Amino acid sequence: MGNKQTIFTAQQLDSYQDCTYFTRKEILRLFDRYRDLAPQLVPLDYTCQPDVKLPYELIGSMPELKDNPFRQRIAEVFSDDGEGNMTLDDFLDMFSVMSEMAPRDLKAYYAFKIYDFNNDDFLCKSDLEKTLNKLTRNELTEDEVRMVCEKVIDESDLDNDGRLSLEDFQTMIVRAPDFLSTFHIRI
Amino acid sequence: MSSEPQRPGSREVHDYTEEYGYHSDQRSLRRDPPRVSNQNQPQFDWISPHEEEDEEGSSGPPRDLRATPLPMALKRAIRQVQQMQVPVVSSRDSWKRKNAKSLRKLKDCGMGFLSFFSLWSKTLQKIGGNFGGGVQSYFLFLRFLVVLNFVSFLLIAGFVLVPSIVFRSVGAALVNSTGQEACMVYDPNPEGLVVFYNYFLDLLSGTGFMEYSYLFYGYYNNTMVEDKNISYNMPLAYLFTAVFYFVFCLICIIARMGTAARVVVATGSSTVGDYSMIVFTSWDYGCLGDRATKLKQKNIHYQLQVDLEEESIKKRAAALTLSQKIVLYSLRVSMCFVSYGLIIAAFYGIFVATEFSQVKNGQGGILGLFFEYLPSIVITAGNFVVPLLCDQIALIERYSPSTTVIVALLRAVFLRLVSLGVLLFTLWRQITCEGAENTGECKLCQYNHLLYPCWETRVGQEMYKLTLFDFLINIAVLVLVEFPRRMVVDNWSNKLSQWVGRQEFVVPANVLGLVYGQTVVWTGALFCPLLPLINTLKFILLFYFKKITLFHNCRPALKTFRSTTSTFFFLVVLLFGLGLGTVVMIYSLSEIRPSMGCGPFRFFPSMWSIVPTSFNNLSIITQDFLFFIGSQSFSIPLFALSCVVMCYVVALASVYGKSVALLRAQIKLEGRDKQFLVKQIEMLSRRQQILKQTAGASS
Repeated sequence: MGNKQTIFTAQQLDSYQDCTYFTRKEILRLFDRYRDLAPQLVPLDYTCQPDVKLPYELIGSMPELKDNPFRQRIAEVFSDDGEGNMTLDDFLDMFSVMSEMAPRDLKAYYAFKIYDFNNDDFLCKSDLEKTLNKLTRNELTEDEVRMVCEKVIDESDLDNDGRLSLEDFQTMIVRAPDFLSTFHIRI
Repeated sequence: MSSEPQRPGSREVHDYTEEYGYHSDQRSLRRDPPRVSNQNQPQFDWISPHEEEDEEGSSGPPRDLRATPLPMALKRAIRQVQQMQVPVVSSRDSWKRKNAKSLRKLKDCGMGFLSFFSLWSKTLQKIGGNFGGGVQSYFLFLRFLVVLNFVSFLLIAGFVLVPSIVFRSVGAALVNSTGQEACMVYDPNPEGLVVFYNYFLDLLSGTGFMEYSYLFYGYYNNTMVEDKNISYNMPLAYLFTAVFYFVFCLICIIARMGTAARVVVATGSSTVGDYSMIVFTSWDYGCLGDRATKLKQKNIHYQLQVDLEEESIKKRAAALTLSQKIVLYSLRVSMCFVSYGLIIAAFYGIFVATEFSQVKNGQGGILGLFFEYLPSIVITAGNFVVPLLCDQIALIERYSPSTTVIVALLRAVFLRLVSLGVLLFTLWRQITCEGAENTGECKLCQYNHLLYPCWETRVGQEMYKLTLFDFLINIAVLVLVEFPRRMVVDNWSNKLSQWVGRQEFVVPANVLGLVYGQTVVWTGALFCPLLPLINTLKFILLFYFKKITLFHNCRPALKTFRSTTSTFFFLVVLLFGLGLGTVVMIYSLSEIRPSMGCGPFRFFPSMWSIVPTSFNNLSIITQDFLFFIGSQSFSIPLFALSCVVMCYVVALASVYGKSVALLRAQIKLEGRDKQFLVKQIEMLSRRQQILKQTAGASS
């Protein structure tokens, strides 16, 4: 392969290839997407590893994310500072996990983090209620929301503490045939 | 869980709480104060990477690194550490690792290359993003059928069509003509001047200039070419290709079912965990566009409402009194009779239409064409009207929504496939003089040579007409119903058009159409060898037409269709169709006498009899070997062995199921143990505090 690009060193590209599910071409394409969000902020030369962070508003305006009701949580989970401001590393990480080659357990781990609104490592009732409201655009009645949350905790809570831990979540995901195809962003 | 906290990285990276971890403050997305339980954080063991090198395998460390849930900077640091340890490894191990890495790169390249060939993948992604998995599964199924038909056509072309073209003028007849002269009269070419529009009519009905061509069975010769280098037995090739075509399709379908079934079996019963599934796995992150997102949200809302409603229906049904139950069940039974009565009426209609069409055979012009297509018209009309009525009946029966869908589907499948069977039955009656082959018109040749001088071509023509008519109807519905409906609904807003609304892409009905079309091809493949090619073209055009109507006329369905279980269901229904085709093929091969005036099997008492004839030409050793395989001393031990293997596999499957249940119970128990221990610790620490306080107070 011709080494015509000057954005990354060969070692950087190699390490990106080893740390994500992307090929060399895809990494360069993703860099172009990242840069397109803010051409004046992102330099063309990453060999010296500049510390550039794009604010959440730009990330959230990407066509793949702008209509997703969970976009803020996705950006928060994958960003370093927890506010949604992403470096190129975070950007590549995010799309690598959401690509179709990522294994189920990796996706389940991050899905758990995304649905955990209060970041307490458990999916409690309030987390479930927020998730449900985002899923149905607040159109369910209070009663229905309460019933569905109760049923979810009933079905998946294996250690009976009234909230879902990561193990409960992963056990439930194993039984979901559609999870791999729905937890997938095409870029 | 807590027994092996710091196990070094292993090949199976399933449970992150055990294997990798890092200190929580490095992932600073959590700005909250320290948590109580640290167990959810992945742990990484920096200390003992040596054990990694001992367990060498094709999946080297880089693969594990990609699958770890750590931020990029940390992954790169780990990678650096791993790379620095490489010189410690022996040269043999490093050579193995380099091999593995280059093999992986080659595989990635190969996958990239193959995906270039994958048909329509971008279109399918777009459909999935905008309309959901259910509609996408229909188009995936259609693509599967296109590929299947095309590959079968290549098979048939390679073994039957091309040799036939090449050896057309060469070769000697296999068996000399025996039998009555009258049976061998077959003159498909029209005489004299033909009016020009007759060509168009012939194209649609497969008669005239199309009849005596490679399209139909009658054109192939029963020659055997024997040269010093090549010997090619045309009839034998024809027979074996037809049989192998069915076996090949069966293998493809079962292979595809295997992948779908694996998912269905692994996830167990689909009713458990319904709500968790909907809440956590139904959001499609690949959904694009504001409109699609809103629709998806409405979709999920509707799904949850339907599920809650089903629960309340179940509760109500359980609370019915005895008299109400009796009323309900008797209603259901009577409605069942009504629906089957409708289906039988449709069958009778097809029967009468086919007989009438055969009687009126030979009439020219547009009226003649109408009579030719009469069976197809009646079948299609039945297929439109009866399911509509069955849907209304299903509403009266008051099953739960999911049961209603399945019942309606099964009825529609029954209707479609058996209506085809009725058509075939009528044809059979006329060809063999209602089964009594030694009476009446069939006495001379054991088939009705007056009506059908070449009956195989006739059957092939019927199947050809069915295929063509099905395609024309699909396009007609598109142009005459769906586009106008959209234009009316969009431009003319009043209550009626609001109520009618835009077209919804109903997946089950469309899939049944595909299965029906494919069944027709399977039934007719023996008599019309080019039918798979025609079907390939038909399905390719259908793909584009359906895509156009989907994007322009349809709104996404509110009621979803689960995509993975539905793929499995489509393939099961396809197998029914294959079964029907196989029955037809086996019957024609063995029971009916081939036409004496045409085709590669003329002068044989049955199509299958060519096999014993050619068998005698094989060498003695091969004959003995084949006799041995067919004899009891081989087949009975083989049967016993396969029974043993099947019992073993079934036992294995049940053991896995039991161990899954056991592990689940174990997880529950460990959770309770953990809670108990935490309580004990709290109690002990409280006691200690109390002791300290009392000690401090007393001193």
